[in-house]
Amino acid sequence: MTAPQLQAVRAEFDAELAAAGRDPARVEEVRIRFAGRRSGVLRELEERLKGLPREEKPAYGKALNELKQYISERLEQARRGVGPAREEIFLDVTLPGRAPRLGSVHPVTLVRREIEEIFLRMGYSVADGPEVEDDWHNFEALNIPPFHPARDTQDTFYLPGGLLLRTHTSPVQIRAMETMELPLRLIIPGRVYRRDSDLRHSPMFHQVEGLVVGEGITFAHLRATLEAFVHVLFDPALKVRLRPSFFPFTEPSAEVDITCILCRGQGCAMCSGSGWIEILGAGMVDPRVLRACRIDPQRYSGFAFGCGLDRVALLKYGLPDLRLLFSGDERFLRQFGSEGAL
Amino acid sequence: MRFLLSWLREHLSECRLEAAELAARLTAVGFNVELREPADGEGKPGDEVWEVDVTTNRPDAMNHRGLAREAAAVGAGELRPLDLSVTEEGTAAGELARVRVEDGEGCPRYCARVVRGVRVGPSPAWLAARLSACGVRPINNVVDATNYVLLDLGQPLHAFDLDLLEGREVRVRAARPGETLRTLDGVERVLEAGDVVIADARRPVALAGIMGGAETEITASTRDVLLESATFHPLRVRRTAHRLGLKTEASHRFERGADRAMARTAVDACAALISRIAGGEVAPGMLDSAPQPPAPAVIAFSLQRLNAFAGCQVPPEFVIPLLTRLELAPRRDGDLVSCTVPTFRTDLELPEDLYEEVLRHWGYERVPAVLPAADRGPGRRLGSWPLVERARRALAAVGVAEAITYSFTDPGLEAATASSPLAGRGDPVPLLNPLSARSSVLRRSLLAGLVEAAAGNLRRGAGAVLLGEVGRAFFGTPGGVREEERAAVVLAGEVGSWDGRRNADFLDLKGLVEGFLSGLGLPPARWRPGSCALLESGQGAEVMLGGRVIAVAGRLAEAIGERLDIAQPLWVAEVDLAAVAGEGTATFRPLPRFPAVVADLTVRHRVDLTYDQLVGALMAAAPEWLEGVAPVVQYRGEGVAAGEVKTTLRLTYRHGERSLSQEEVNAAHFAAMERLAAELGVRFD
Ligand SMILES: [Zn+2]
Repeated sequence: MTAPQLQAVRAEFDAELAAAGRDPARVEEVRIRFAGRRSGVLRELEERLKGLPREEKPAYGKALNELKQYISERLEQARRGVGPAREEIFLDVTLPGRAPRLGSVHPVTLVRREIEEIFLRMGYSVADGPEVEDDWHNFEALNIPPFHPARDTQDTFYLPGGLLLRTHTSPVQIRAMETMELPLRLIIPGRVYRRDSDLRHSPMFHQVEGLVVGEGITFAHLRATLEAFVHVLFDPALKVRLRPSFFPFTEPSAEVDITCILCRGQGCAMCSGSGWIEILGAGMVDPRVLRACRIDPQRYSGFAFGCGLDRVALLKYGLPDLRLLFSGDERFLRQFGSEGAL
Repeated sequence: MRFLLSWLREHLSECRLEAAELAARLTAVGFNVELREPADGEGKPGDEVWEVDVTTNRPDAMNHRGLAREAAAVGAGELRPLDLSVTEEGTAAGELARVRVEDGEGCPRYCARVVRGVRVGPSPAWLAARLSACGVRPINNVVDATNYVLLDLGQPLHAFDLDLLEGREVRVRAARPGETLRTLDGVERVLEAGDVVIADARRPVALAGIMGGAETEITASTRDVLLESATFHPLRVRRTAHRLGLKTEASHRFERGADRAMARTAVDACAALISRIAGGEVAPGMLDSAPQPPAPAVIAFSLQRLNAFAGCQVPPEFVIPLLTRLELAPRRDGDLVSCTVPTFRTDLELPEDLYEEVLRHWGYERVPAVLPAADRGPGRRLGSWPLVERARRALAAVGVAEAITYSFTDPGLEAATASSPLAGRGDPVPLLNPLSARSSVLRRSLLAGLVEAAAGNLRRGAGAVLLGEVGRAFFGTPGGVREEERAAVVLAGEVGSWDGRRNADFLDLKGLVEGFLSGLGLPPARWRPGSCALLESGQGAEVMLGGRVIAVAGRLAEAIGERLDIAQPLWVAEVDLAAVAGEGTATFRPLPRFPAVVADLTVRHRVDLTYDQLVGALMAAAPEWLEGVAPVVQYRGEGVAAGEVKTTLRLTYRHGERSLSQEEVNAAHFAAMERLAAELGVRFD
């Protein structure tokens, strides 16, 4: 095995010396690696000579000596700037590199993580719950009894056994309030489903909701939280407007508008000329909801807010159409990388 | 809902605000003026039509009077008192018609008036124009009058031709199952027990709170009119409207709660209007099933609690006048304020409802922004989030593009992709009301959506596809629906870079899956041949860890590819994330202190001797300081007999405690070769 091993060392030396070309610093590097006194390759091979059986020593020693001589001659030539005629290889540095395939993360995942990060920093935990729900958690506990008009706007996919596909992530709020210890600070992202499909609606989409329940939670807390959220997610220069509205599970309720990120409030097609875009729904948790979860509204109060992750992705990345998100088109999916904004 | 600005202003004694300012202030208190358009037709110059989003909890503002009340509260002027005078003449109404409410739950109050001797014809232009501006088509003066009062005061009314009411009487009762009624739209409706109907002595003549009947409607020959103005039970109206798929202006309002006091006011206003525009005389007297109003609800709240709830000080000097303008009759006793809820505010029940009244008028933007103090430790990811997030990162790390595909799919594709050991854990879960047959069942395998997405990319001409998803699969079980976290990938087309491309094959897929599992922190898994209908026969594997199948991988069955019009191979894998949830925390292994000795070994063996068998035998034959074995190359063809293959392996010998000498490595190496030859019948060249 010894002779081939020395051959390999010689081949390696040739290759490195060739690569070093006429650059003295690099030739010196090659010298140190192979002929260095303390830890050069030749030194190592000499060490190995000592451990060989007596009968193998002469052959190995001869071959090693030849190698040493070869290496020192070639190093000397290289230092003098002469050497065997070498083909000049033209390296075209403009050729595309051999790229490893890089993974990419879905834009909805990117905005979800970004939102989660904002709230994790504010002490919120990220919760999840089932996508297949029952009527109690999806509607009744949220102050939406059977035949309530609010069910009109949440066209529901029904499943056998009285089950349904959750129409919002709010049932996770109920599950959390039913089972977790107060005070609560949660962020709840997830898939939701509504029986609706057109340019602006997909039968499956994503929401993220926030829930804070504790003693002394106020409307002022809600306002500040929403502002912090919008400012970190989009832009600290954006104005945040709370407009009174109605949701069965919050009282008072608000729709949250932000300055249109396209026209900066001047009015454009995206904001229908108003200068504002609706981005969130929010409010103080309705005492009826707290009571449904056996929480005493005399002692505790809370706020909740929610928004569509897909819509945020649309706004953030300037996407033309919601359905692109679920198209599985790799030309689209690979545009966003795997890190998102940091 | 559409509003006419001039009509709104008519309810205000003086209008102090410009249109734009009024619209802005109404929006700020929760009545979003979404659109302002110039009113055309008979309107005054500068008049506008507004589209206002009135939230479902505020049926009282779904009319001009109601919105004018809010306008007054935001400083637009004083709400003008209603003119409730009616000139009555002739025979008393009680002698002309009778009203009986037999279903008191379904109809808490029924008011009626009789107008005799009307001349049915077109409405005056001003009235027709107002209706048109609000999107209501004029029909005739009597019907138009009822619609006008609806838009004006919010009370749905109905006009019957009194002569067509059998026995000249009205009975409000529960429908008898199977009874039929032809509604104004000409449709024959079959009624059920929960429905509330207006009937005469013989038959139903109207669907209470939803739509009148065709047989008693106002026609050109109508002389005497019975005007109905009632309140109906919201839930029962809604159930019937829902079942029949009938949504009308009336049902929309009754479902949200009508004002019982307005029933009486509106019928007076409507009777007066009819006699004005259609002639006829209003018979003296009102037929009223429940003239005694119930005791009004009182809500008391503490000003201090209001401030604590808001997180700021809202002075009583603001609160009390505001509540007065909203007609809530506040009485203050120190810190306590009691409000009497007017009948039109069906949405007010709790102190929080009044906090909302105060805050929306105080202005949400005047509440300071104060972040809540930290009351918990740092947040963390709960439930399955840590697992699925790790899986997403591990997928990206092996080059996969994350896709999100629908959770529901086509039943045929669902069944085909669910035919694997991973997906056979329960029944498919059908949607009872799918949007289409192609999305009518929940997926038991993430591959349902992914292979479809991959096929789409290939059809668009993609040369290489590598898609993955992390999400849930759904299994119907006797106890309900079980959700399992899954990850899946699909690989197709070419791999490699521009100067070295080839078609992806099984080992590319296996490498991806191994990389993914290792990214999850798992120890190496065992791969064994697996056959299931998901995968092409002889080209599939099951991935085992801890005695469990944690993944399946292989070439998608051609039959499934054909379903998607894809002939080229699709390499697919699915991983049960729940099965790997508990596994894998990286631990430190000390770095080797002694050098390794590397030796190559070329083995000639039968093709059906697997790599696992070969390496297993080698590891068993070699000393324990054989650190590892890796393949270098496999060769079949010239120089190698048919049915045989040459595999070159690189063996790494390293002892943990000392340097190895060349002799002892050689000795062990040759001894292992001999044992392999004896045990497996392999040869070495
Ligand atoms: Zn804009």
